[in-house]
Amino acid sequence: MLRCLGRRAGWRRLARFLAHRPGLIASILVVAVVLVAAFAPGALTSANPIVGIPADRLRPPSAQHLFGTDQLGRDLFARVVHGAALSLRTTMIAVAVGLVAGSAIGLVTGFAGGPADEIIMRVVDVLLAIPSLLLSLALVTALGVGTVSVAVAVGVPTVANFARVMRAETLRLRGAVFVEAARCAGVRWGQVLSRHVLPHACGPVTALAALEFGAAILTVSGLSFLGYGAAPPTPEWGSLVANGRNYLATSWWLSTLPGLTITLTVLATNRIARALDGEWARAW
Amino acid sequence: MRPRNPSGCTTWLRRAAGAGLAGVLLTACGSGGTGGAGAAGAVPKPGGRLTFAVTSDFGCLDPQQVSSIDSVYPARQLVDSLTDQDPATGKIVPWLAERWEISPDATTFTFHLRPGATFSDGSPVDARAVKANFDTAGKLGTIAAQAASYLQGYRDTTIVDDLTARVSFSRPAAQFLQATSTHTLGLVSPASTAKPPAERCTSGIVGSGPFTLGSYQKNQSITLNKRADYRWGSTLWKQQGPAYLDQIVFQVIPESGIRNGSLRSGAIDGDSAVASQDEASLRTDGFTLQYRSAPGLPYGFSVNTGRSPLDDTAVRRAVSRAINRQEIVSTVLTPLTKPVTSPLASSTPGYVNLAADLVFAPDEARKLLDDAGWRPGPDGIRVKDGNPLQLTVQYFTGQTSAKAILELIQQQLRAVGIAAALHEEPVTNGGRVVQAKGYDLLWGHTKGADPDVLRAQYSSTGLNFNNLRPGPLDDLLTRQAATADQNARMALVRQAQELILTNQYNVPVIELTVILGLSAKVHDVVLNADARLQFHDTWKS
Repeated sequence: MLRCLGRRAGWRRLARFLAHRPGLIASILVVAVVLVAAFAPGALTSANPIVGIPADRLRPPSAQHLFGTDQLGRDLFARVVHGAALSLRTTMIAVAVGLVAGSAIGLVTGFAGGPADEIIMRVVDVLLAIPSLLLSLALVTALGVGTVSVAVAVGVPTVANFARVMRAETLRLRGAVFVEAARCAGVRWGQVLSRHVLPHACGPVTALAALEFGAAILTVSGLSFLGYGAAPPTPEWGSLVANGRNYLATSWWLSTLPGLTITLTVLATNRIARALDGEWARAW
Repeated sequence: MRPRNPSGCTTWLRRAAGAGLAGVLLTACGSGGTGGAGAAGAVPKPGGRLTFAVTSDFGCLDPQQVSSIDSVYPARQLVDSLTDQDPATGKIVPWLAERWEISPDATTFTFHLRPGATFSDGSPVDARAVKANFDTAGKLGTIAAQAASYLQGYRDTTIVDDLTARVSFSRPAAQFLQATSTHTLGLVSPASTAKPPAERCTSGIVGSGPFTLGSYQKNQSITLNKRADYRWGSTLWKQQGPAYLDQIVFQVIPESGIRNGSLRSGAIDGDSAVASQDEASLRTDGFTLQYRSAPGLPYGFSVNTGRSPLDDTAVRRAVSRAINRQEIVSTVLTPLTKPVTSPLASSTPGYVNLAADLVFAPDEARKLLDDAGWRPGPDGIRVKDGNPLQLTVQYFTGQTSAKAILELIQQQLRAVGIAAALHEEPVTNGGRVVQAKGYDLLWGHTKGADPDVLRAQYSSTGLNFNNLRPGPLDDLLTRQAATADQNARMALVRQAQELILTNQYNVPVIELTVILGLSAKVHDVVLNADARLQFHDTWKS
């Protein structure tokens, strides 16, 4: 779309598109800051997230400690910033697991059809029937505590969602004229899939990935809240909220600020997912 | 005479100071000083239901088997003991036994039972019941290690007549009389002794106590009902008749924040472990706070001496030197908590102050590690032969403030180059964890109002928390248990404490003071000698 227009006209259109959507701009900014936190935490804070000064414990938010300090005198802002790396990395692995495995299953079964499609889709139905958080809990119990096992546990239940969406797109495209033409021309099916089907099917799947990203942050944080994440003292968003809950009566910031960080990130990714889901095309 | 009465506090203070029982003193004056429980002049009112929150469920209702604090609270109310121990003087006084005789060599104990006491299934508390209990209590399996330790060397019980039982040991058992005052040797009915240990745990036992088991819902609650025909209470209690409360409900609420909220809203009447951050606001809002500092083994680490790196005494000592105990107290605990000064809590008989061996000396710790060949690696963690100095620290759900304390210790150890990985397990897995010995350091404590508590922890037989090989310590501990002469016994106890610290078989940390939070309507919650709760005299206004 953007490609078809002149470079100048494209930027003007983008500016107009965004000007009508302040929420989207804010969302992009939030995600940008979170990404900076995840990949260059040093740019946002110089405080040590692991070692605190016990004498400075439970200080409310101030200019010196933006988010206050925890029960051991550790700077909470530094812990949230450094926690972003782990929480986001876990989330990314989780979404990648779902995206890659789900898309591959959807693509192949949708294209192949027949009994293989029938059988795999019934398996997917079963996966969809189990509440995803419950499945994640069962998986993480089996896999053990740790970042990667949490990621896998969160990713596996989303495989079914990706598979369904990808299969639907593939079914739609399988009958398309250009795909039939390619096959008649003798192109091998692997080529057809990667050249012709996948590029056209990836739009809805990308939007779903952005949406699942928000949901995965929540589930990852949920599991880390329950104690399945990284071992202490490594900060993670969920475990920060969990740590603060016994101090709610006296030190509200301990749970509230990490909680708000999670909320904002999830809302922002949801907003971006909506923008990716054809909002640009619908705007004209 | 009751230490809870504010005016009695000073008298008692003097006496306790004389006896060197400073820890219990804090307990008593703390509770008296904050008012409420004292309620001087108020007349106890019978009736009502007390809801009391505990932090965990051990999954066992048998007082002869349980050891976690939370499970002892309900189990203690179900049974009576042969004797009771005065928390102020440490003296053993009559309860189910009116009087007793001990042979000069402390091998036979003859108990004369009071007439008329019955178990709640109707069977009498007689010599036959005493025999049935002692014949079985030592053989209840691994989780009942305490009972087995109390009954080590037990030969048999002779039924002299209906109300007279003679308990004999194959060797002197100096600690046995005190042991009969504990919940561990509380008497259950002969029918209950015949059941397998697992069934006694899950379906409960029948005792002669002031309360009987109403219902038990795992991980939720335990309900106890008053026994109306009870009239054989301990001579330490205000009255020997039935309890005032109609019902006690023990609710399992693991999170301190929720316990605090429930106490404030009136959903519960008492909280067994107030978090230190909630202490100040509860006091200003008129709640009663009772401070409980238990005699026995203080909170600290059992050390797995059987595997590298803690098989090296120097590394063990470095761990102990690297821990800043005062900082732990001032950061995460109530100011009444005391840093340890011995492997025994300061309120335990036989305690010796060995504070010089338990100082915070990070430079010495670094030097010890340097000399032992552990050199700082690139990330600050020490390395020897390519292995990082990483310790696995095991703790259990529900241990008071454990996570905050251990994260701080983790930080302190890190400062001298020791990495610590914290692992949490449900308390129900305790026995399995200790048997598997997958830890380097194990966080915990043991209550006991007698120095014999050392034997349960440090004996190389039994659970063997420290993975010790048989050695001179075993000999000392066995001999103290068998020495009838108190002075000679305490000398052995002293040697044992010194030997433990010299070899650093254990890294004691703090004498944890647990804070009980009670609604202002609750009166006379009594702490007995090993700082456990007795609800017989408790009433609600």
